[in-house]
Amino acid sequence: MMLDTLKTLLAVWGPTGQEGQVAQELQQMLADKADAMRVDVMGNLIVEKKGQPGGKTLMFSAHMDHIGLVVTDIEDTGYLRVTNVGGVSVDSMRCRHVAFGNGVQGVAVCQPTKGETAGMQHLFVDIGAQDRAEALTMVQLGDVCVFAPDCFPVGPHRFASPAMDDRCACALLAELLLQTDAPRNTVVGVFSVQEEVGLRGAATAAYQVAPDIGVAIDVTAWGDTPEVKLPAVKLGAGAAIKFMDRSMIATPCVRDALMAAAEKAGVPYQREILPFGGTDGGAIQHSRGGVPTGTLSIPCRYVHSACETIDMRDMESGLAILKEFVNGEY
Amino acid sequence: MKTEDFLREVTALPGVTGNEGAAAAYIADAFRPWVDEVEITPLHCVVAHKKGDGPKVLVCAHLDEIGMMVSAIEEDGSLRLQSVGGVDPRVLPGMRVRVYAQGGMLLGVVGATPPHLLKDADRKSNYTWDTLYVDLGMSPEQVREKVRPGDTVCFEARYVELKNGRVATKTADDRACVAIMLAAAERLNALRHHADIYFVATCQEEIGSWGALVSGFALAPDYGVAFDVCHADTPGAPANSTSKITSLVTSKGPYLNPFLVKKLEETAKSNGIELQVSVDPRSTATDADELSVTRAGVPTVLLSLPIKYMHTNVETFDMHALTEGARLLALYLAQVEQSWEDELWN
Amino acid sequence: MELKTLCELNGASGNEGAVRKAILEAARPLCDHVRIDRMGNVIAYKKGRTGNRRLMFSAHMDEVGFIILDATDDGLLQFRSVGGIDPRVIVSKYVLVGEKQVKGVIGALAIHLQSAEDRKRVLGYDSLYIDIGAKTKDEALADCPPGSYVYFDSSYQPFGDGCVVSKALDDRVGCYNLLRLLENSYDADVTCAFVTQEEVGLRGAHGAAFDAGADAVIVLEGTTAGDMGDVEKVRRVCEPGKGVTVSFMDNASIANRELYRELLALAEEKGIAAQVKRASTGGNDAGAYQRTQQGVRTCVLSVPCRYIHGPSSVVKLSDVEAQYQLARAFAEQA
Repeated sequence: MMLDTLKTLLAVWGPTGQEGQVAQELQQMLADKADAMRVDVMGNLIVEKKGQPGGKTLMFSAHMDHIGLVVTDIEDTGYLRVTNVGGVSVDSMRCRHVAFGNGVQGVAVCQPTKGETAGMQHLFVDIGAQDRAEALTMVQLGDVCVFAPDCFPVGPHRFASPAMDDRCACALLAELLLQTDAPRNTVVGVFSVQEEVGLRGAATAAYQVAPDIGVAIDVTAWGDTPEVKLPAVKLGAGAAIKFMDRSMIATPCVRDALMAAAEKAGVPYQREILPFGGTDGGAIQHSRGGVPTGTLSIPCRYVHSACETIDMRDMESGLAILKEFVNGEY
Repeated sequence: MKTEDFLREVTALPGVTGNEGAAAAYIADAFRPWVDEVEITPLHCVVAHKKGDGPKVLVCAHLDEIGMMVSAIEEDGSLRLQSVGGVDPRVLPGMRVRVYAQGGMLLGVVGATPPHLLKDADRKSNYTWDTLYVDLGMSPEQVREKVRPGDTVCFEARYVELKNGRVATKTADDRACVAIMLAAAERLNALRHHADIYFVATCQEEIGSWGALVSGFALAPDYGVAFDVCHADTPGAPANSTSKITSLVTSKGPYLNPFLVKKLEETAKSNGIELQVSVDPRSTATDADELSVTRAGVPTVLLSLPIKYMHTNVETFDMHALTEGARLLALYLAQVEQSWEDELWN
Repeated sequence: MELKTLCELNGASGNEGAVRKAILEAARPLCDHVRIDRMGNVIAYKKGRTGNRRLMFSAHMDEVGFIILDATDDGLLQFRSVGGIDPRVIVSKYVLVGEKQVKGVIGALAIHLQSAEDRKRVLGYDSLYIDIGAKTKDEALADCPPGSYVYFDSSYQPFGDGCVVSKALDDRVGCYNLLRLLENSYDADVTCAFVTQEEVGLRGAHGAAFDAGADAVIVLEGTTAGDMGDVEKVRRVCEPGKGVTVSFMDNASIANRELYRELLALAEEKGIAAQVKRASTGGNDAGAYQRTQQGVRTCVLSVPCRYIHGPSSVVKLSDVEAQYQLARAFAEQA
């Protein structure tokens, strides 16, 4: 179930700022199980499952968007000049298969840099157009491409995909909503937009939801490949419960409640202390008069590349933790 | 409670950003005798309300402190650290630190590879988070049993009285300013005031003034007064970046409301209180930045207490400046009138 | 109000009083309600015939300038920029300092006295000072105390083929067009926000956005034109004379996709010159509007501006007109 949901969501095109197709897919998936569902002015999909009387409102956020390249100019020769949407590194873009929303495909290429450090100005996208005029029949300035959707198994437990950040969390949240019946607390699942450019969607969603407690679900970095030690998080050792990153220090009571839920569910989990990065949790915690907030992370190798890799056992651990968490007494 | 006693105790308490519970509880208790209501918010801001029938004023100083978090435990039981807020790792070697573990506080010593064992080139480079560790003097098994990644770590806390009323302590940034608010709250009991005053000891200033942002939203004040520390004169400091240690400083610049600053200067002058002026051409890097743009905007002033050696365990200030600061704050708050509204944008 | 009048008013971030006063007076007879909010913004509201939509247009009143920090013992004023001003463009410029508009010049060590190494170095704010002719620190600070604002002493002049040169075109062109928008009547309810402190972090707009209740916010801006000199063709961002620019994204916001397409289509339909801004650099008030409270749809319409943030920025008047025409056409749509 989880894997099917994941694969479905990984196949949908949805860069930062244009998440509509992902929201549509999720709406279809969740239509029968939601008490209320709407898409707000920013494009966030907000799904509600009512809790018992006396329960609190818990907001969970997983972002639908992923990083891409936006067309800033088209050369007379038909090549597209681009710049990043979100945290794209040039290295991850060398000779990569990319896709536009209208189905046009191309190859992202880094031109020879003549000794300069490679930057966005050295990238171009080849869509096979003969000249500018032909290119303009295929794409317009301001159009966005992403790594072409893909998903392949790596060993017995793992999958790699360019959109794992953060569709794996979308899948987790979708499964939580599908598998939870009559929770003690009201569960508001926010599938947020524009996380990759500064937690923008989660900020406006949190304002509307005004939750009692917030939990972001996102991927985190890894510390178990050659010459990479921190954060001290491994693939396959369970979902990670965040203590801090650059966007937020997890509110102690929520962080502890997540760990208690893991203990109660009897699943493995890890403690995550991340010196960089950020998640929707920061935006939720600092919303309105302040919202106690934590983050549940799925360890993910090679984040922001075409081969973002996760372990399905960590997804199962994460789902078990959240299913327990929504029935906690707060 | 005497200001000195409050400071001695409150600066010793742990309150690393995001984990401010202990400091918040102590500060809430200290305010109770002098105000109408005290509340601790879910994110650990302390809100002390002294009621009035006039404009609502939010006065804030932050209660959180910079510190560290255990990021990993090495094979040999030594702890690796990650900074919470702007800790300079160069101040750490040889420092005694407090590790707040589940079972209680543990004393640790910050160690690094001894210089004798380093190559010449390495000796010239600074200590970094990668080269420092905390030694708990226990076996790796004992360490693993007691300590977990994510436990908070504080600087050692000693309150040292130097000559001429100077004090060196951990977390003068910004609990010395919390002490100013507390002393002003006490003084206001002997003054008439219209202002409806909220003294807020804010959380999470060191990573982005989040406490001021959410408090501003929750309380929706008419005016804001932010309190923080600034740099006192020390040898070799860049020009125009420091102030005399002997009195408070107010700032001018785009983030601060000129009318409120003018009123503050007038209050100081008419009461014979020394007040320095500094200029912030852009952000002030204090709670004033966020407080001033909460909701539809909050016209705000900034007052700063000059300290030396900011972001270390020996932050040094002048007790006389602190006492005069409390007098200024109380007198200023007693002046706030409804009629100020008409002059705000003239 | 004339663009010249607006440009020649002085109003750096946090010191917009003169601009605010002029705009307040000009707007009052044109709208149903006008007020100053908690950030010092001027909010002008015009009720629509049917009120079918609630539209907001926004431009910032503030410009970049300088602020006095202190003076040297021999009477030279030390200063910093308010907003982003590249110190390389300010050496030997004329300025006016403080409330009394004291005349001064920005000085630096004469080139003859600089070593060969020094000459290669960028003169930063630490090596520059304002000379008002004062002999002592006290004399300098008497009329120009710390916190005094400083402005380019720079007039508005037409030149070339339909161009003007002036300080503060960013964003008095937007203010100018907002006032023109208020002269018409619409079906929609229209709010024009003249906001403060854009140049120091989009601060006024944060306040204007709160409880604004708009269906869409259109920000009228001036933006960097890179069409001159050695700039490669693919780096030119936008070009004066080719119309108003429409932005798909910048560092502060991503335009609402439908709104962005609607504005481009509208320009084409009405024959209004428009160009897509060919970069995602910079940031403006749309970022503050879009993310306040529950969020709102935004898009940015800019006038291409050469040598922006200097004493002699340049725009083409036909682009200023195009910005107005497109904003007006959008407001007039059913």
